[in-house]
Amino acid sequence: MEHETLSSEFVFTGDPAAMVAVRDRIMDFLHEHCADEQQEIDIMIALQEGLANAVLHGSRNDPSKIIRCTVDVTSEAITVVISDPGHGFDIGVAADSADDGTNLTQHGRGIYLMRSLMDEVSYRHGGSELRLKKLRRQR
Amino acid sequence: MDNIDLYAETNYISQTYSGKTESLRGIDMLKIDIQSAPPMVKLLCSGRLVLGVEAETLRCMATSRPERRVVVDLQEVHAMDAAGLGLLVELHCRAQRRAGMLTVANPSPCVRRLMALTHLESVLQVAGSAGIGMADDDESERCAMTA
Repeated sequence: MEHETLSSEFVFTGDPAAMVAVRDRIMDFLHEHCADEQQEIDIMIALQEGLANAVLHGSRNDPSKIIRCTVDVTSEAITVVISDPGHGFDIGVAADSADDGTNLTQHGRGIYLMRSLMDEVSYRHGGSELRLKKLRRQR
Repeated sequence: MDNIDLYAETNYISQTYSGKTESLRGIDMLKIDIQSAPPMVKLLCSGRLVLGVEAETLRCMATSRPERRVVVDLQEVHAMDAAGLGLLVELHCRAQRRAGMLTVANPSPCVRRLMALTHLESVLQVAGSAGIGMADDDESERCAMTA
């Protein structure tokens, strides 16, 4: 699949139960494309954080809201794009809350974890679209 | 709408990948075994500690215990997310406010890695099995709960 891109799109509603189901569906799709178990777990955790933010913050747990997630697999990378219907957020503030060991609140670790586990994490449209990229390694 | 899955089921059944001993995808939901030996209680967790019913179950279980020292054993927890990490911090802070203590015992490699990434190893009290003393097993109260 040197020049081939495998793509799939997943659409689900803004409630946590649907998020868990679609997360597992996405990991089913990605399973055979991950280099090893550690890479698969890294993607799974980052995906969980991205989807959770889309449900909790982008959709405010509203089942009438629609979240879209596209997954692209190439020979070089696995890319996940999550789009929620929210108004986004202040990315700078969220990045500032990245954990340095002094965060004693329950929240504020999701973005930091994503950035730690993935090769690229970026936002578009004011934060309502998240792009996660993990470079593939040879199996 | 070609190639689009509209997926909103609530009872999706997990399956374990063949050929892999474990992965986040195939890990069971959270199960908690309770060993009480006042003034300490040990909550032996297995499965995944993630956002949703799993994190809520551990929160309810830990905050409802009367013992002042709570040990959360994570040896069999092989998947955790930011919500799970946040819960540990929340329980740690709650214990401190109540002059109690929360100890994270036997974190699995996955949990330890996430704790290291988020620098929580220096915040939480982490101990191996040797550092956790319990009363004689026969005298301790045992029960179990599954999320």
